[in-house]
Amino acid sequence: MLKKNVRSIVPAIVLALALTLVACGGGAAAPDTSDDGATEAETTDEEASGSDIRVGVVLDTGGENDKNFNEYTLAGVRDAANELGIEFNYVVSGAPTEYERNIENLIEEGHEMIVTVGFLMGEATQAAAERHPDVSFAIVDVDFIDLPNVTGLVFAEDEVGFLAGALAGCMTETNTVSTVSGVDVPAVVKFVTGYQNGALWANPDVETLNVYIPSFTDPTAGKQAGEEQIANGSDVIFGVGGGTGNGGLLAAHEAGLMAIGVDVDQYFTYEEVQSSLLTSAAKNMDVAAAQAVRDYVNGELEPGNRLSNLENGGVGLAPFHEWEDRIQERGCDVVAEEAREGLLSGELTTGYEPEG
Amino acid sequence: MIEFILEVPRLLAVAVVVATPLALGAYSGLFCERAGVVNIGIEGMMLSSALTGQLVAQYVATGWIGTPLEPYGLPFAALVGILTGAALGALHAVLTIRFKVDQIISGTAINILAVGGTGALYTLYLAGGTAAGVPISPGVFEAIRIPFLADIPILGPIFFDNKPITYAMLIITVLAHFVIFHTPWGLRTRAVGEKPEAADSLGINVYTMRYINVIIGGALAGLAGIWFTLEDIGTFNVLMTGGRGFISLAALIFGKWTAFGGFGASLIFGFAQAVQIYLQNQGSPIPPQFLNMVPYVLTMLVLAGLIGRAVPPAADGVPYEK
Repeated sequence: MLKKNVRSIVPAIVLALALTLVACGGGAAAPDTSDDGATEAETTDEEASGSDIRVGVVLDTGGENDKNFNEYTLAGVRDAANELGIEFNYVVSGAPTEYERNIENLIEEGHEMIVTVGFLMGEATQAAAERHPDVSFAIVDVDFIDLPNVTGLVFAEDEVGFLAGALAGCMTETNTVSTVSGVDVPAVVKFVTGYQNGALWANPDVETLNVYIPSFTDPTAGKQAGEEQIANGSDVIFGVGGGTGNGGLLAAHEAGLMAIGVDVDQYFTYEEVQSSLLTSAAKNMDVAAAQAVRDYVNGELEPGNRLSNLENGGVGLAPFHEWEDRIQERGCDVVAEEAREGLLSGELTTGYEPEG
Repeated sequence: MIEFILEVPRLLAVAVVVATPLALGAYSGLFCERAGVVNIGIEGMMLSSALTGQLVAQYVATGWIGTPLEPYGLPFAALVGILTGAALGALHAVLTIRFKVDQIISGTAINILAVGGTGALYTLYLAGGTAAGVPISPGVFEAIRIPFLADIPILGPIFFDNKPITYAMLIITVLAHFVIFHTPWGLRTRAVGEKPEAADSLGINVYTMRYINVIIGGALAGLAGIWFTLEDIGTFNVLMTGGRGFISLAALIFGKWTAFGGFGASLIFGFAQAVQIYLQNQGSPIPPQFLNMVPYVLTMLVLAGLIGRAVPPAADGVPYEK
């Protein structure tokens, strides 16, 4: 009798434990607790206009600490929510199949603005926006949704990629520079195209290499791609694509070569490779996300795409940190600055043309 | 074409490195399935060990906790990683042998547990960098060049200039083959996996044999897991094993449930990956997804009986009732 009970209970406990851990790891729609309860405290404060509004964020599989767009978009929403005294919650998607369910759950819980992150979530966001015309959506890195309740927060990756490429083309001693890229989504392709054309602009003799790895969470494959590029002569590797790109940075670092980070100033987010980082091609995702939330609360969030570019300071090169002197010695900071001015004045183009 | 042929030895050396976690995963499956227990939790076991190994490396090997273990931080971290795999193997064994839970469900539960558990531990202890008080990674195992042997043309760089877990994989290939096919222990293991009733009637303890083999399998998956963090990357990334646990099961099937077969299959898969990256760097227009399908396509061809026949152990996946 007892034996039978134990038989059925033990597996049940293990499975329950598994699911609980998933909930913890995935942060399944739990109110943001990493925030010292600041959100709750401020929810009751003044701001009559914003106090009832709830904003929900659905993150991609990289999770809230990906040192990349998930983390920084979330940070932007968190900042805006704290500042406005509104409530916000987020969910991490365990797999692409969870996007729709996570969005639906947040809407069911009464979130009237949903922020989603990344090109891969585009279709799920579009479908949800069609089903819920009364809910507002903002999505990072997606420009193809044409609905009255969706705002695309997009970035001129090609522009900042061009600057990174100009710097790389100037700094290379082997006349070969390369990119280790994640999935070939538009944001990544724009970075790569801009980088290659920037390098060619700064140094017409340069050869550019690129590898796409169909994942954003595969540093092992990224490192392998970087090592292959080094074997082919590359001495500046631009890692474009989450953990996969980080593998490329690591390859450059281990070989004592130069690396360029992406999306955020990776000097602070990937400390193991600090000494190899020339700069990072940064997108101010936190600024864009925070502004979208503020505008929504003030009734000023317009549908269509919002482009963060060089002109409005939405993208730009991060500081050179440890490489400052060496870059100046070779005059490459001037080259990068010339590229920036050229792009701003319209004298230069990044060479990226959207498909279709 | 000639250019490519000249690159083959170098790409083979890359393939051996890339094949290391695949082959170790395949041997993990070999021990489990030869004893009659299907283990699709290898991916989760790898991911969990990758995390625990890195966690210990970062906190112990850097002297952050200030233990006398510090100089042996990386080997100690490796041990913890292997034991993590063994512990999950034990969990799988208890669930499937003692409680006769469906083996596929138990393996799936371990995979889910690993994704959630590693995500939670990563967020708690490894995310945020030094600003959040996380010690910087101590780095990875260094390559060991074996004198003289490493100078042999072509074969030298492929087999004798590697990092420790890669050497371990090569040694375990031979060891696993010997144990499974040339020792009484291996004979009993195979008997338990083919016809447990017959083995039982001869006085072999079916349960004990299955327990121990599944735990050995877990430890091997653990060794595969720490390859990612302690030998290759030096930091932990969410979902960093990237489905290689499943590819290693494909290697096991492609290799027809043998150690040498699993090694060969892993090497083919690793080589396909190396060629894929090589071609992209040469500007080939073949989509990367296409060559990434190679392991799965080959495995399906084997399963369909087009490249020889793959016959699993007869009692593979069947719980044993006395």
